[in-house]
Amino acid sequence: MLQKTTFLSHSYAKPDGHTLAAYESAGGYKNARKALGMSRDAVVDEVKKAKIRGRGGAGFDCGTKWTFMPKESKKPCYLVVNADEGEPGTFKDRTIMERNPHSVVEGCIIGCFGIGAHAAYIYVRDELHLSKERLWAAIEEARAKGYLGQKPFGLDYPVEVYVQTGAGAYICGEETALLNSLEGRRGEPRYKPPFPAQVGAFGCPTTVNNLETIAIVPTVIGMGGEAFCKLSTLAEFNDGGSRLFGVSGHVKTPGVFECSVGLTLRELIYDLGGGILGDKRLLAVIPGGSSCPVMLPEELVNVPGDPRFEPYNGKSVLDLPLGVETFRSVGGMLGTCCAIVLSEDADPVLALHNLMRFYRHESCGQCTPCREGCGWIERILDKIVEGRATLDELDQLHRIASDITGNTICAFGDGAAQPVLSFVKKFRKQFEDYVLTGGKSQTKKLVA
Amino acid sequence: MPSFKLDGQDIPFEPGETIIAAARRAGVDIPHYCWHPGLSVAANCRMCLVEVLPPAGRKAMMLDVLEWDADKQDYVPAKKPKLVPSCQQAAGEGMEVASSSSEHVARARSAVQELLLLNHPVDCPICDQAGECRLQDYWLEHQGTKKRMHDEIVHKPKGVVFGPTIVYDAERCIVCTRCVRFCEEVVKDPVLEKRERGNLSEITLAPGRELDHGYTLMTEHVCPVGALTARDFRFKARVWFLRSAPSVCMGCATGCNAYLDFDPRDDTVYRHRPRENMAVNQYWMCDEGMLDYRRVHEGRLLAARVRGKKATLGDALEKAAGVLSGVDPERLGVVLSAQHSNEDNFALLRLGRDYLGTGHIYVSGRAEGLGDPVLKHADKNPNAAGVTALCTSTPPKTFAELAKDIHDGRITHVIALGSYSSDATKTEALGKLQGLVTLATREGPVAKHATVVLPVSSWAECDGTFVNAKGMAQESEKAITPRGDSLPGWKLVAALAKQLGLPMAWTKLAQVRKAMAPEAGATVAHATGAEA
Repeated sequence: MLQKTTFLSHSYAKPDGHTLAAYESAGGYKNARKALGMSRDAVVDEVKKAKIRGRGGAGFDCGTKWTFMPKESKKPCYLVVNADEGEPGTFKDRTIMERNPHSVVEGCIIGCFGIGAHAAYIYVRDELHLSKERLWAAIEEARAKGYLGQKPFGLDYPVEVYVQTGAGAYICGEETALLNSLEGRRGEPRYKPPFPAQVGAFGCPTTVNNLETIAIVPTVIGMGGEAFCKLSTLAEFNDGGSRLFGVSGHVKTPGVFECSVGLTLRELIYDLGGGILGDKRLLAVIPGGSSCPVMLPEELVNVPGDPRFEPYNGKSVLDLPLGVETFRSVGGMLGTCCAIVLSEDADPVLALHNLMRFYRHESCGQCTPCREGCGWIERILDKIVEGRATLDELDQLHRIASDITGNTICAFGDGAAQPVLSFVKKFRKQFEDYVLTGGKSQTKKLVA
Repeated sequence: MPSFKLDGQDIPFEPGETIIAAARRAGVDIPHYCWHPGLSVAANCRMCLVEVLPPAGRKAMMLDVLEWDADKQDYVPAKKPKLVPSCQQAAGEGMEVASSSSEHVARARSAVQELLLLNHPVDCPICDQAGECRLQDYWLEHQGTKKRMHDEIVHKPKGVVFGPTIVYDAERCIVCTRCVRFCEEVVKDPVLEKRERGNLSEITLAPGRELDHGYTLMTEHVCPVGALTARDFRFKARVWFLRSAPSVCMGCATGCNAYLDFDPRDDTVYRHRPRENMAVNQYWMCDEGMLDYRRVHEGRLLAARVRGKKATLGDALEKAAGVLSGVDPERLGVVLSAQHSNEDNFALLRLGRDYLGTGHIYVSGRAEGLGDPVLKHADKNPNAAGVTALCTSTPPKTFAELAKDIHDGRITHVIALGSYSSDATKTEALGKLQGLVTLATREGPVAKHATVVLPVSSWAECDGTFVNAKGMAQESEKAITPRGDSLPGWKLVAALAKQLGLPMAWTKLAQVRKAMAPEAGATVAHATGAEA
């Protein structure tokens, strides 16, 4: 169901929307003041009721994550905000940082209070220069006004917020690699357990939240967790509220849109994205960031035995509301809710080749399967695209990807394997044609 | 003790212990590259993956993958359980773990093995690691298939000189980071680090640094493949021709347990490497110690000498007996050696003190050096504690005191073991002696001034017991046959006694040890000698 909201995007159209004045005129910082007047448990409770599924791709429930933090800790606790947005096709967090940075700062105050931290680090992808500038400016404004520091709003709960930049590695978006990078170490994921709530930044209990997750928290406190949750049509799937949806690729009006959870891919592509460029046929869509399996419009929902899926069974996956559990149940993945659309003019072989160049380049090189496997897959795809590959080599692709799956420290390996497995399964014919014609079957382009 | 089942076998574990560590203690080796019992867990090689079966009534976490169905000519969905690295997973009571009995584990290991060799040059014929390389061993055990990637491998730097002792080949490297972790965690000198990403990853030096701390050769030793090679050993020998003798390092009073690797065909020692002993050196040795094997071959004294001229052993023994016979015991000094075994020292002590009747006992050895908090002891002698323990009633006097006693005319004759003087400024006094019989392994100041020199076998050529600074008596075993005319020190002493007409009829080491037992005191520690 298409239901637009403006909790985060209300300031997007205003030229000065990123300033404190504009934010406060829209009711900003009232919610942080309110939260600091509540008990810590009450704040966490509201966030739990809101059923915010982590917006960074893994979809873990935010309130539940906050409860993992120790009630009492001898060590300091930290809130770390993941703004290392680097997934191909995902570009929602930067819009918040650039055009509504104060929602992040306010979210940090509430988040720190909710988890018992007094400092928040916002880890921003280095390439997002305007985002860093806007965040720093927002922090300075808030501090000057007395909203940050020793006594925010005159209340006795010190909070400081810092911006830390990455150095251009996609893997640092993985929360434990991010923590290593934050500490000045090599950005390599850590083995879990221990989880960050036990041993996180600088060896202290830490909660790592996606930037959009944190930015929506003030809204939750303002309207109450239950009311926020009810905005969604997927509340029964424990997926509440509203979120940012992105659409890119071969659509007429790509962009970021804020809507209630429950939006379908069809609405995202045709209503918000304006339909396929040149009114072509839709070939495929990658639902949320490049690590998710690619889906075809011909795929039908078939989840027997679960009454919640009854309205959708037999329908195209395009008509299934975008939710963490709905997509997991159909063998897909929601990810970041930023869909990449491929029109019938696009070449799926070139698309996978493009993705795997990215994953080969970004593998941190720690675990053997991912380090060597991604390189091998890219190399075979190179040869397929150049028309030098054999069928034997094509048959290696799913095997290598299957051997990476699950056998690495972090989810990067799975994220690199999923596109391969889904593309070869769903486009085997096109891959075979490349091999059999020596690459001459390539009539389509990557860019429409 | 709680236990878990590994492939049906009960394995006891300490609470908190990982599966791989508990299995190792029980003598079961789970294949691994990056894990090392003395280093932190990296869990990056993925060779030690195992399947932990879910508790009864619970479902295993399954992952979606694909198989190719040749009949259908299409992909079919498949499931596989999520495997866990046994180096990281703590063992739990009643846990059921499948390692060699799981087909999923077998496939995962085969895949890891193939991927590790994917961009490897496979230059075993010119690689020093060949014969003791895990890539070779595990290829046979866990893969055994031909390479399926037929393109040019990823090329990386080769023959990179890391420092005075180590050369690095990035193409052979599997980036397990054992060397990085060793430098950081054991030596506390983080001079190595990883650089680049993905399949371009390689080990590199910290900017402006060389790999030049005191434990550089250990990086080669912990390297499970041929990426790091020791400049001292590379291209010298093929390991399958070498045999290993459990020995004790002679470098200092720590008494690190070691292996002497030697070629029995030419009786040459090629390498010294650590042997695990948690009570002494754990898994490590220092560079000084690892290079100390050179003393077996360098600066050796291999033939007897009488007044500077080469002599047969028989002649020299006769002359030595002539020097010593009729000497007033009050003018005779006996110099024991902290460089030599308990057995050699005991034999000389028995001769000098009990048969020749002197009470003037001294000890010599190498001069003090630098120690460190890791392993190195400032006392650069392996058996100072043993010598002290042998001289039960009165502790031996120092070399400086010997020089003074000679100078004052109190000592006119000396029989000495070893050729080190402890104090280079005091060696001239030896020139004033009327007679000096030296039983020495190496050339040195004492041998230089000797009337008669008798060649003693080094520790590599005979069995011996050494007592380290902690008071642990440790046996070192014979590797090669005695070089030149040399004989074990106790044998030379017995031969000399025979010349002197004394009843010291030892012909076997066991006899010496039996005679020594009440005096040596300390018990002999035997090391386990397991491979990490």
